[in-house]
Amino acid sequence: MTGRQWASGIGGLLVCLALWQVLVGSGFVEYDLLPSPWTIAGGLATMVTEPAFAVEVGHTLAATLIGWLAAVLAGTGLGAVLGTSPLARRYCLASIEVLRPLPAVAFVPVALLLFGFSLQMELLVIVAPALWPALVNTMEGFAGVPQRLTDVAATFHLKRSTRLLRVYLPAAAPAVVVGMRLSLSLALVMAVVAEMVGNPEGLGYALVREQQALHPDLMFGYVLVIGLLGMLLNGLLVWGSRLALPGLFRRPVARWDSA
Amino acid sequence: MNRLLPAWVGLVPLVLVLIVWQLAVPAASPNFPPPLAWWRSLLAMAQAGVLLPAVFETLWTFLAGLAIAIVAGFGLGVLIGTVRQVRDWSALILEFMRALPPPVVVPIAVLMMGFAPAMKLTVIAITAAWPILLNTVAGVQAVPPLLSDVGRSMHMPWHERVLRIVVPATVPALLVGVRVAVALAIVITLLIEIFTSLPGIGVLMVQGQRNYNSAQVFGLLGLVGVLAYCLTIVFALIEGLVLSRWPPRVARR
Repeated sequence: MTGRQWASGIGGLLVCLALWQVLVGSGFVEYDLLPSPWTIAGGLATMVTEPAFAVEVGHTLAATLIGWLAAVLAGTGLGAVLGTSPLARRYCLASIEVLRPLPAVAFVPVALLLFGFSLQMELLVIVAPALWPALVNTMEGFAGVPQRLTDVAATFHLKRSTRLLRVYLPAAAPAVVVGMRLSLSLALVMAVVAEMVGNPEGLGYALVREQQALHPDLMFGYVLVIGLLGMLLNGLLVWGSRLALPGLFRRPVARWDSA
Repeated sequence: MNRLLPAWVGLVPLVLVLIVWQLAVPAASPNFPPPLAWWRSLLAMAQAGVLLPAVFETLWTFLAGLAIAIVAGFGLGVLIGTVRQVRDWSALILEFMRALPPPVVVPIAVLMMGFAPAMKLTVIAITAAWPILLNTVAGVQAVPPLLSDVGRSMHMPWHERVLRIVVPATVPALLVGVRVAVALAIVITLLIEIFTSLPGIGVLMVQGQRNYNSAQVFGLLGLVGVLAYCLTIVFALIEGLVLSRWPPRVARR
């Protein structure tokens, strides 16, 4: 993005906000429950100072991260096995293709039935869908290691562990990171969903609570916070993977990549 | 095609799990009812006349919402992709909206529109339009310069350039967006039903859960899984069919 593009991007945002403020503030658009940006900012300011706010953010963040870690560990592990063994792939791929489209929300009633209103319930709803991107990307990364590299490893009679760590893992790392990124954004989405219709805690529940209490300013405040949390988590992960794998992002990445 | 319709041996683990589940768990298990109990529960719901209307309602909502999303997402995407000013001015807004988890749209829409059928379609259309819009914008920007140069050197008016060059060249990108949107629209449709108790499969799941009828919940989970799998296959087949004839070939001179 050039400076001029930043300027017009910020300009576009400000124009929209100003238009919204003027239309709602002047009473030209009368939607009982649509607050003006200024009111939302006020609601956000009071919301952030409440002690409960930190607890809500902490709960959602903890559920997201724990669920994500579990999904990534299981997903990359299984993905590595499936990626390195054509036999395992042949005997599992169809099951995966059948289970993967299962919509994640459908796990909410099952999770509530098994765990009641608890963190475990949230974790089941998070891990079940967040497993797939990690698994599938890792599998494809490991299966796509160039033949030249595996031939070299075979020629040197490398031990299986060395082969995994020194040949496969570095070659598959970019795909694994992509899977981790997709898993993370999915984990946050599912944490919010689980709190909206399941476990009454965290940001997702706060959002629904304010909606039912007819506090649109606070509700929009929570929407903003959830969006910012998503951007922050994704930013941290990109920054972390840049540190761990220099060169991964060296090629210019398309601005509209669908992550 | 190999990934779409994989060899049936790949189903062995799934079938094994279900068989072991059926054999190892007593039929009256409160938390993990065996698969045959799921099936009986589904049959009972079908005989009571509640299952088919719910399935129909869910499918209809999903398809109508997705159709609106495709039209709106593609239209806006072509506009944003072709006009640089619009793209620059909307860049930051799009960037934030992309980071926003789609489910948060549900309570906003309930607050502003109430429990109306229009609310369902609006929410699905808004959330599912997103991947379509972003992929369309990317597709428009990836139109080979040669093609747009041809249009310019032939002095085509702008609307003809958009209709005859940009839109056809963007269809493959649109299809990628639709693939993502299908999965998202299914999730959002069920979420709305669970959240608002408007009729559909989601409500039946919630009812089963509240009555501690675990066979009903598991049965519906299986049904939803089968439906979602079939929809994915159908849309993948459509995508393959379109792409195999795209771009329309013209006889070379």
